[in-house]
Amino acid sequence: MAKTVTLDAEPVKAASPYKNANQELRYKLYTLAIIVVILAAWELAPRMGLVSPIILPSFSAVVGALISLMQQDFFLRHFSVTLTEILIGFVLGTSIGLALGIALAVWPTAKRIAYPFVVGFQAIPKIVFAPLFIAWFGFGMSSKVVMAVVISFFPVLINTLVGLESVPEDARKLMRSIKATPLQTFRKVSLPHALPVIFAGVKAALTFAVIGAIVGEFVGASEGLGYLVELYKNQLRIDRVFAVIVILAAIGAGGYFLLEWLDRKLIFWRTDAQGK
Amino acid sequence: MMAARIDNGTPLERAAPAETIIDVKGLGKTFTLDSGPVIALESVDLTIRKGEFISFVGPSGCGKSTLLNMVAGLLPATEGAATLNGRAINEPSRQVGFMFQTAVLLPWRTVEENVLMPAEVFGTKSEATRQKARTVLEAVGLRDFMNAYPRQLSGGMQQRVSLARTLTYEPDVLLMDEPFGALDEFTREAMNLELMRITQAAGITVLFVTHNITEAVFMADRVVVMTPRPGKVSGVIDVELPRPRTIDQMQSQTFTDLIFKVRGILGHGQDSHA
Repeated sequence: MAKTVTLDAEPVKAASPYKNANQELRYKLYTLAIIVVILAAWELAPRMGLVSPIILPSFSAVVGALISLMQQDFFLRHFSVTLTEILIGFVLGTSIGLALGIALAVWPTAKRIAYPFVVGFQAIPKIVFAPLFIAWFGFGMSSKVVMAVVISFFPVLINTLVGLESVPEDARKLMRSIKATPLQTFRKVSLPHALPVIFAGVKAALTFAVIGAIVGEFVGASEGLGYLVELYKNQLRIDRVFAVIVILAAIGAGGYFLLEWLDRKLIFWRTDAQGK
Repeated sequence: MMAARIDNGTPLERAAPAETIIDVKGLGKTFTLDSGPVIALESVDLTIRKGEFISFVGPSGCGKSTLLNMVAGLLPATEGAATLNGRAINEPSRQVGFMFQTAVLLPWRTVEENVLMPAEVFGTKSEATRQKARTVLEAVGLRDFMNAYPRQLSGGMQQRVSLARTLTYEPDVLLMDEPFGALDEFTREAMNLELMRITQAAGITVLFVTHNITEAVFMADRVVVMTPRPGKVSGVIDVELPRPRTIDQMQSQTFTDLIFKVRGILGHGQDSHA
C-alpha cells in the first residue's frame, strides 16, 4: 500500500495578541478612565480658578467654541483650504518618496551618489524653509503644499529604500534560480515584501503633511486653519484656538485611521511579530 | 512492497547504467577578500548519472554549498567547468530546481499561488499547470491546504510547499541545500522518506547537501564526503543498500559500516561538528 506519512495535520494558529478578551476589555476601560480624568481636570481647573480661563478655557467652553466656529460662514473656506493643502502635499510627497526610494533601491549607483545628499537633507530642520517658500511661492496655497511635500516625502523615501533592501537573500536567490527578470522579482517579491515598511512611512508622511501645511500657514497666509489659529491667538480668543486644534487633530486622526484600515486590508498577511 | 507513486511514474529501476546528466571537471572557487584570496573549493571532479541521488556531507566551510551554487549557475566558478545535459552551466536553468534551508514562501500568496509562482515567471501558467500543481500538492499531502496561507502551516508543511513549488515545473535536477535542517528530527525523517519516494518515482536527479552523516548515507546512492580548509572532496562512497530505503536498514551492519567509512574520511583531527 502507498504509505502516507501525515504529520503536522493541524495548522498552526496565530497567537492572539491578548491573553483573552477579558483582559482586552480591561485595557480599553483603563484608556477610557484616563480620558475621563483628563477631561474632568480640563473642565475643573479653570472653573476652580486654578488657571485663568483666558489661558486655558474649560472643556465645555471649547466645545461651545467648536460648535459656534463650525457654524460660521467662513469656516468651510478655511477648512477646505487647509485640507486641500494637506491632501495634495501628502499625495505628492508620498509619490515622490516612493519614486525616489525605488530608484535608489534598484539602482545602486544612484544610491551611492545621492545618499549623502539624502542624509544631509534629513539633517536640516525643514521648517526653516517655510519663510523661503513663502517668498518663492507666495502667500497662497502653493507655498504650503511645497512645505508639506518637503517634509512628508522623506519617511516614505527612507522606508521604501529600507523595505526593498530587506528582501531576504534566499528569496532573491530563488527568483534568480528560476531566471526571473528584475521586473518580475520586483513586482512579485520585493515590492510586496517592502509594503508593510513602506506603509509605515506613508502613515508618518500624513502626519508630516499636516505639520507642513500648518507651519506654512503660520508663517504667512490669509486663509486656512493655521491662519485661524494665529488670528484667534492675537485676538486672545483661546477657546477658538483650541477649537481649531481639535479640528486639526480630527483631520490627522481621521486620515491616520483611514490609512490604518487600508494597511490592514492591503497587508493582510502581516503577523504580530512584524509589528504595526 | 509497493512504492507510492506520483503521476504515472514508475519507480526507477537502476539496472542499466544511466546516462550522465551533470559533469563536473576541475571545478573550483576562490573568493578574493580584502585580506587576500580564500579557496572555498578546490578542483572537484564528479560525474552524476541521471536519476542518481547524491549526498554531499561535511562540516561548515567544506565548500558543499559553494559547489551546489555553482552547479545551479548562481555562482560563477573561478576554475574548471560543469555541464548539465552536455551544456556548460553559466547561468541558472529551468531544468534545475533549488531548495533552501527555509521554505522561502511568499506570505501574501496562498499555497497554490506559491506553487504556481514559477509558472507565472515562465509565462506558462495555464489550466494544465494548475492541474499539475494540484497533483503535486496531493503527492506531498497538502491537497487540503491549497488555499491556506504559509503562516497557517507548520515548518514541515511549509517545506513541502517549497518542494511542491519546485516539482510543479518538473525539473530534471533538484539541488537541495540542507532543506530539512531547520525541522525537528521526526518531521525531517518523514520528509526524507517522502523526498526519496517522489524523486525516485519521477526519475529526478538529486544533489542533497547536509551536515548530518546518517541522513547523507540513508538517502544517497553515493555520498560525496567533503573537508574544509581548503574545501575539497575527500572521498566518494557508494551506498549499495536496496531501494526503496526503509528506517530498518539503518540498523544493518552495512549501514553502520558506511557511517564509519564516512566518519573515517571526515576524521583525522578535523573538527567535524556534524
